[in-house]
Amino acid sequence: MKNDLWVEKYRPTTIKEVIGNEEAKTLFTEWIGNKKPLKKAVLLYGPPGVGKTTLVNAAAREYNFKIIEMNASDTRSEKAVNRIATPASSFTGLDKFSSEIKGNMLFLDEVDGIAGNEDRGGVNAVIKIIENTRTPIIMAANDPDLEKLRPLKKICLLIRFQQARIPLIIMALKKICEQEQVKYEFEALEKIALNSQGDVRSAINDLQGLSEEGKILTLQDTFALSLRNKNISMDETLKGYFAAKNVAEVASFLNSSDAEYDDLLMVIGDNVARRYTDIVELAKAYDYLSQADVFRGRIGTENWHLFKYFYNNLAQVAAVNPESYKPFEFITPPPIRVITLFWTKTKRTMLASICTKIGNQCHVSKYEAKMIYVPYLRLMLQQKNKTNTLIEWLKLTSEEVTFLTSLKMF
Amino acid sequence: MVILNKNGFKLPRVEKEKFTLLMRLGLEYNSQKMLFSIKHYNNINQLQNVLQDILKSEIAFTQTCIICGTDFGCSTCKYFKACPTKDLPFSCICNQCLRPKKVMQQQVLF
Repeated sequence: MKNDLWVEKYRPTTIKEVIGNEEAKTLFTEWIGNKKPLKKAVLLYGPPGVGKTTLVNAAAREYNFKIIEMNASDTRSEKAVNRIATPASSFTGLDKFSSEIKGNMLFLDEVDGIAGNEDRGGVNAVIKIIENTRTPIIMAANDPDLEKLRPLKKICLLIRFQQARIPLIIMALKKICEQEQVKYEFEALEKIALNSQGDVRSAINDLQGLSEEGKILTLQDTFALSLRNKNISMDETLKGYFAAKNVAEVASFLNSSDAEYDDLLMVIGDNVARRYTDIVELAKAYDYLSQADVFRGRIGTENWHLFKYFYNNLAQVAAVNPESYKPFEFITPPPIRVITLFWTKTKRTMLASICTKIGNQCHVSKYEAKMIYVPYLRLMLQQKNKTNTLIEWLKLTSEEVTFLTSLKMF
Repeated sequence: MVILNKNGFKLPRVEKEKFTLLMRLGLEYNSQKMLFSIKHYNNINQLQNVLQDILKSEIAFTQTCIICGTDFGCSTCKYFKACPTKDLPFSCICNQCLRPKKVMQQQVLF
């Protein structure tokens, strides 16, 4: 029960299940159900986290459309839009005939984010596609009043989304409690909903974090929620992170932390060995941590749609066995990896210089020079047998020679 | 404050320009029933301002409960002050539907 995030478990799968915005939902279903709508595209707009993307996904499932999505993580220049969106919007896929799928649905998320040199000509390309499309085109934006979106607005049906209201959030929380068989005081749900400030996702996360099997969720339990709007320091984040009782509580601490994700990843890596004494648990924790690291690398600066995987894996590290938690002394920043990199900088620069020289003379890469040539070169220099010719040929300095002969490992 | 029923409400006679503006902002006029109703919700904030100007009073639209279908005003809601979207949109849950179990419990106790 505690290892699944309720936000994912109870993500709406039908239009009816999407909380709030009844008028917007009605307008949208009318448009998508219409075979010959007046406008070929629709622009959903409103603040983040109100269910625009969820509604599109639910509608695609309900009306049997295959979603082809381009979001902020993709480059959306004229060329890129034409390459992906033009075939998707003008041709009918073979699966239309072989299954129940009605066809493609093009979804351009965060269109207000089409900007800069990378996305040059993107809006104009989208307009051209809308004019010639044979499939529904849906766009989502947070701020529709931007100047660059004006031509798009003229040819789209505009649908406005608003934040979820408190009674609606309470109702959603009640439903989840009933399904998870969590007993609750109404006032506790009320406090969670009020605290969420219209953000359904955070309300569900809080509910999961606070509820325990066989215990009644009381108003008193929700007093800890005042932490939500505070930015927690690295030290407090680590304390809360390792002491958390389940994944949702860990997620809640990570949410409110003001620490950088990269720093957090390294510091957690330093402290995991102190947290778990059992080897099996430690191995499992490191496994999650390595997966988080892999996803962080894949996210880079663009692929933020992978963030949830990074985040979930990082949360799982602390939730391997919450019952075995005993307070311990944290290794706080700067992380060991950063310190090691600082202390070894001179050595690494020296080795890189030697490898460049070997690479130039032997026509090999720096990596190959480091892995294959340097160990033999070190042995040859340590033997001090006719090494002068070699040193001269490689143009090594006396410091580099000393460094190589004293090199223990690399 | 004037509470208007979004499905049909009357307005005093307005000039042609104002009438056109109301239609453009999303109102619909039923000439047989002589009632205005809301057709589009996208310009609702501007529409609210124009209507306030016409009626010379603060206005609010009724909310429809998505559970029981009754119309009610936002001012009757317990969370009115904390609500992030006062008056708009027009669907919510009324107080009776939000706490039905307590009502039942009270009935059992009596």
